[in-house]
Amino acid sequence: MPELRRDPIVGRWVIIAKERGKRPSDFVVPKDEVKGGFCPLCPGHEYTTPPEVLAYGRPPGAPPNSPGWSLRVVPNKFPALRIEGELWKEGEGIYDKMNGVGAHEVIVETPNHNETLAEMSPDRLLQVFWAYRDRMIDLSRDNRFRYVIIFKNFGRAAGASLEHSHSQLIALPIVPHLVNQELKGSKLYYDYKERCIYCDIIRQELQTGTRVVCENHEFIAICAFAPRQPFEMWIIPKRHHSDFRAIDDRQFRALAEIFSEVLKRLNTAIPRCPYNFVLHTAPLREPYLEHYHWHFELLPKLTHIAGFEWGTGFYITPTSPEDAAHFLREITLSEGGQENAG
Amino acid sequence: MPDRKPRVLIVDDEESIHLLYREELEEEGYEVHSAMNGPEALELVDKIEPDIVVLDINMPGMDGIQVLRKIKEKRPQLPVILCSAYPEYKQDLASWASDDYIVKSYDLSELKDSIKRNLAKVGF
Repeated sequence: MPELRRDPIVGRWVIIAKERGKRPSDFVVPKDEVKGGFCPLCPGHEYTTPPEVLAYGRPPGAPPNSPGWSLRVVPNKFPALRIEGELWKEGEGIYDKMNGVGAHEVIVETPNHNETLAEMSPDRLLQVFWAYRDRMIDLSRDNRFRYVIIFKNFGRAAGASLEHSHSQLIALPIVPHLVNQELKGSKLYYDYKERCIYCDIIRQELQTGTRVVCENHEFIAICAFAPRQPFEMWIIPKRHHSDFRAIDDRQFRALAEIFSEVLKRLNTAIPRCPYNFVLHTAPLREPYLEHYHWHFELLPKLTHIAGFEWGTGFYITPTSPEDAAHFLREITLSEGGQENAG
Repeated sequence: MPDRKPRVLIVDDEESIHLLYREELEEEGYEVHSAMNGPEALELVDKIEPDIVVLDINMPGMDGIQVLRKIKEKRPQLPVILCSAYPEYKQDLASWASDDYIVKSYDLSELKDSIKRNLAKVGF
């Protein structure tokens, strides 16, 4: 019997088609065609990108926009939104519009063309999260921006157009609707119970354990109760804070470690699984929020979104999160590598 | 500056585009060459050694992004202008290998400006 489940924060309904009960091996992942040829993100090709806004790893004294970096952040060469200009807003009858002011940047996560995040050590992954925070802090100084969204598309099916590992950042002059839904949902819960809903989720998931994929002293990774995609995972800090910019050094390391583990488990369960992950954090101008809790949501791209989903906002998932968590937990990981599903 | 007309290679699968671009660009003093697809373009890059390439993206077989990556592998400094009717290809980061990205229009002033600007970078 299928089951309808409701996300406790945004109220989104999903259908868990339990009878389909898909195991990781049942998913057919389209093989990404390796196109080869010139890559604009590779070392030595820095001249093809706009001048970098951040780089790590070059020896002291090395010029910017030269090889030798371990991570590099560059503005988008053909951005959807423009950094230049004042923000103006206007009404056209009942319709509102504003000019397309924003920042669009690309975080080149590694100099190695074929290296994936799942293959990186936590030490290397750490600098990716540093870059996210450094860029967010810098962009939040610009009063035109209200929100910074950071996301990664991995694999062509998930929207990655270039195989060289990268994530993206877009600073927006508005708070996106989805973020507002999360803020409102968590506020409603807080007003009623005087507790953060995410903190309650962590407590309950640790008690039951059925959807827990892994945890460390600072973070928990769970399969979401009402997932939009099979194997959807949330990575949530155990310490309450609404703003990713407040992350400290201890949490950075623990975040890199749990992310590395989650990606290795997913990659072992479903090799080269396409996915998106998104950082969910409070708007830039919001002070510390008792009711909101920053976290990452990782969505493997394994099912298609079509008419039913567009028409209802529902999602249909052929694997229950309890089964997904079980499969992922059972995987034995070797030191720094990956083994097989148990 | 070389003592000859700059060579422009137009790569597009539409005959009408070649006719339009050839007429307008020859009038501007360029030597214009045409390729109807990716493999032909790669062959001409070796054979005629163009000074700049104007490259369509949406072509059957090898698309413009693949052609771009192969051209830049052979000759990284050869300026390539992507010229497409579809602005959404800007989201494809592989297009960053190009020197400019222009959305196709029958008004060629933007394309002409870009050709002039990018040729100047390589000494014309």
